[in-house]
Amino acid sequence: MVDAAPILRMVSLTKQFGRLVAVNDVTLDIQEGEFFTIVGPSGSGKTTLLRMLGGLEKPTAGDIYLRDERVNQVPANRRPTCMVFQSLALFNHKTVGQNIEFSLKMRGESRRARRERGLSLMNVVQLPEDYYDKSVTKCSGGERQRVALARALASDPDILFFDEPLSAIDYRLRKLLEVELKDLHRTTGKTFVYITHSLEEAMVMSDRIGIMQEGRLIQIGSPNEIYLRPRNKFVSEFMGEVNTLAVQAGADGGIDCPAFERRFTSPARPDGFANGYLVIRPESMRFLNDPSEAENHIEGSLFNEYALGSRVQYHVSAGGSMFVVEKLREQAYRGSLNDDVLIGWDAKDSVLVTD
Amino acid sequence: MNEDKLLKQMVKRDPVRGAAATRRQVLQGIGAGALALGAGGALAGRARAADELTMLTWDGYVDPRVLDGFTDQYDTGIKYELHTSDPDSVNKLRAGETAIWDIINLNNPWAREMMWPEGLIVELDRARFEPYFEAMLPMFHPPYKWAMSLDNEHLLGVCQRVDTFDFVVNTDVISAEMAKDEGWDLFNNPDMAGRYGILAYDNWNIMHICMAAGLHPFKMKSDDEVATFEEAARRLINGAKMVSDDFVAVNLAVINDEIDMYFGGGTYSISAARLDGLTNLYHVVPRSGPADGKGGINWIELSSVVNNPDLHPKAFDWMEYILQPDTSYAVATAGGFLLPVGQMSQPELLAKFTAEELDSFQWDEFDYRISHSVEYDVVPDYNRLYDIYTAARREKS
Amino acid sequence: MVDRAEAPAPLIRQPGIGALLLSWLRSPGVLNATPVLIFFLIGFVGPLVIVLAFSFTPERTFDLGAGFTTENYEHIFTESYYISFIWSFALAGLTVLCNLMIGYPIAYGLSKLFGRWAAPVMLVLVIPLFVSENVRLFGWYLFLIKGGGILAGGLKTAFGIDTGTLLYEPGTILMGMIYVYLPFTLFPIVLGLSMVPRDQVEASRDLGASRFQIFREVELPIAMPGILIGALLTFVLAVGAISEAKLLGGQNTPVIAQDIQHEFTYAQNWPLGSAISVLAIVVTGFLVVLVMRRLDLDRLLGRR
Repeated sequence: MVDAAPILRMVSLTKQFGRLVAVNDVTLDIQEGEFFTIVGPSGSGKTTLLRMLGGLEKPTAGDIYLRDERVNQVPANRRPTCMVFQSLALFNHKTVGQNIEFSLKMRGESRRARRERGLSLMNVVQLPEDYYDKSVTKCSGGERQRVALARALASDPDILFFDEPLSAIDYRLRKLLEVELKDLHRTTGKTFVYITHSLEEAMVMSDRIGIMQEGRLIQIGSPNEIYLRPRNKFVSEFMGEVNTLAVQAGADGGIDCPAFERRFTSPARPDGFANGYLVIRPESMRFLNDPSEAENHIEGSLFNEYALGSRVQYHVSAGGSMFVVEKLREQAYRGSLNDDVLIGWDAKDSVLVTD
Repeated sequence: MNEDKLLKQMVKRDPVRGAAATRRQVLQGIGAGALALGAGGALAGRARAADELTMLTWDGYVDPRVLDGFTDQYDTGIKYELHTSDPDSVNKLRAGETAIWDIINLNNPWAREMMWPEGLIVELDRARFEPYFEAMLPMFHPPYKWAMSLDNEHLLGVCQRVDTFDFVVNTDVISAEMAKDEGWDLFNNPDMAGRYGILAYDNWNIMHICMAAGLHPFKMKSDDEVATFEEAARRLINGAKMVSDDFVAVNLAVINDEIDMYFGGGTYSISAARLDGLTNLYHVVPRSGPADGKGGINWIELSSVVNNPDLHPKAFDWMEYILQPDTSYAVATAGGFLLPVGQMSQPELLAKFTAEELDSFQWDEFDYRISHSVEYDVVPDYNRLYDIYTAARREKS
Repeated sequence: MVDRAEAPAPLIRQPGIGALLLSWLRSPGVLNATPVLIFFLIGFVGPLVIVLAFSFTPERTFDLGAGFTTENYEHIFTESYYISFIWSFALAGLTVLCNLMIGYPIAYGLSKLFGRWAAPVMLVLVIPLFVSENVRLFGWYLFLIKGGGILAGGLKTAFGIDTGTLLYEPGTILMGMIYVYLPFTLFPIVLGLSMVPRDQVEASRDLGASRFQIFREVELPIAMPGILIGALLTFVLAVGAISEAKLLGGQNTPVIAQDIQHEFTYAQNWPLGSAISVLAIVVTGFLVVLVMRRLDLDRLLGRR
């Protein structure tokens, strides 16, 4: 995998709309067979980036290479790629079968070959066969997702692009489809490039994740890397609820926290770190009976607790801010609200990030 | 450019009558038709306005100068409706509209041959009105045939506008003298096919086609003569480069060399254009023709008082009012149409016309035209000829 | 499956038709619509009924009670009135065809390409509608007429080319009709094309469709209601066209409206005029129904 030449390569890719720089100097390699997800909030430029890769927008600067061939000027219909749109963009005037077979019809394949392939794709995406002649307007949300997926797969593209296709779907179905999509990635072995604003979604499915902020790709890595070592405060907070403490580099390799007027033990300090944030994940926080049980500790009071099924989350008010602690159900804190509590963590479970 | 003048002429025409409308046309017809449809033909139910004089008329009497003058002198307002055609308005009276109208102004044959015998109009006081006839052009001296009942006893109306209506040539291409000599044969000449137009005033066209076919328009026709008529109708209609019921369109075609002449045409259709300097448009009355040796047709308008049970008290005053010199001049130049009136024998009236105005209706030739024309009359087998004519129009190739 | 013949009779007694009608008449919807319905009956249905009735009265009568006959309809076919039907429908058909070919690219530009220029372009197309059709056609007449005409005169003065006559031909009529009725084809197509979602066009391109395939597979089917309405509107108007044939055609080409007008005015033959009107309405109505059956108005008006 590592040795393989990248199937898709972006070099200093930039897109400007008037004075707005939507995509700013993005350089990225995507490997053959990879499930790569670009995550960013709305307006971060991820959709524009995807549209350039699909050939629906032309880059202002920089290059796109598909298997070492520069494809900047190749229109969408000549690229061996296919996109699943956020809106799905199904042809409402056509049946399920006609939608799925669209690309085959455009290629001039025979009616019989089309039907055969269409039905086998419906099987792949788990659509019942008798849906073949059904109008897509009569399909449910999940069924429409499957039609869109089958339609994109029909032309046997080298790369499949996904533009937040699951964003408009309710939670349970989304979870189901996330898993199916990942399974589909395995069974087809194709390269998937997926964009979403939900890191959680990205974590479930992706081999690698790229985080976008204001047109720039600010961190690329495996889900674990991103999770454990966010590069900056934006990334760390983007991953969900975390505890952040504003800190400065201290004298003896420790770090000073002005809010608590205390020195904490420091994890690996980035080069030239002067001030920034100490990030501690909720599940790395522990309740202490005694300060000695952890390298660092804070005194606070239990504000509230929330049951999350297999886990329990606690909000602890300390030093004027709220800390989040998460425990497995069987390790739940036994006490009552407004108890004075001691929470703490070890340096290895914390990360130092800058702005 | 010449178009400017014709455009002006178009604008000058009464806008209510629409850009495509002409004297014998359209909107009033449609309006009347719609009304009649709406009322299921029961038009007689319409009530007349309280104290307005009501008038069914051709365009000569609806000029503001004519209408306002009467209101000033007699303190009476006037309501009018323009004709679609002579018979149409006669039919209205027949249908009971005598209760609505006070005055009717029509071409010459109707009063004498239809309206008086049918009791649709009332007679005028001969002692009061015959002196006016004596002061008119010699042809009108009393007893004037078209103003009198068939038995020559009763005076049925007063005359004013009068002229001939035959054909028009472009004198830049065809000399007036040659056209007079050739007469209607000009349209029979195969070389002229595709070089003339038709101003589609249906009833006139039928008379003109009779003339071209060598038939007297106002005499009964044998079957052979009807066949002759049909041959001529189809040939003349098929040979026409264009047909229009809008004389401006036809005049434009002449001055732009699309066509060199057209029938029917006369001072009625060209006087306004001639006044604007387009004197190459020229009304021709042939020197000879099949109607008692004559080839021209002379129309006379006659204003009569309707046999209205509730007649407006000033109806007879109107008859005198229109014969005054000032009113006569206004009628002769009404609405941009310049036409001779029977009162032009009076020096006082004649002096009101400029030389250009007199030339616009070819006044110098007026006597020649009248003397070479037969008087407009009812075409005896009109319906039969009309069906042939309209079929030829539909099947024009 | 149960054999229908053996199905038991319904046990609940159905209310009579009279009772149903009465309850329908008493429903608030019908009551509220009554003023409009009455206005519609008097203003729209009434005149049509009278025209229909007149078409069955004897020739040249003005009285609905004059008797019943179908000879007016026979006359249309035996006395060459059908010629104008052929011309009117042929000209209307050609007008629709030409206007679709001219209108579609313009509509496409207006809805997809011109961007902020769409409004000015639209304005240019709409402004002539404020001028009477007769005046605009007269403008064409002056433009095309030989001799002093703007085109012929201009060419003659500038280049010494003699164009000959350009007027009084069926082709000139067709040109006039195309010119007059273009907006009526164009704007419904703009409406239709604006219903084509951008993402579906992109999706089809992404799925390998060429420009023509996008047109055929996506744009055309989705815009079809608008196109059909435009075609229909144009056709119905063009069948009733009269000024073009009168002014530009020099009445050398007979059209239905001309015949009807003639019968109601000069010819004073209301029954025949009515019969021609009724036949024209029936033929046109038949075509309209044929097309309307393929239309989903709700979708076009954005209710779905």
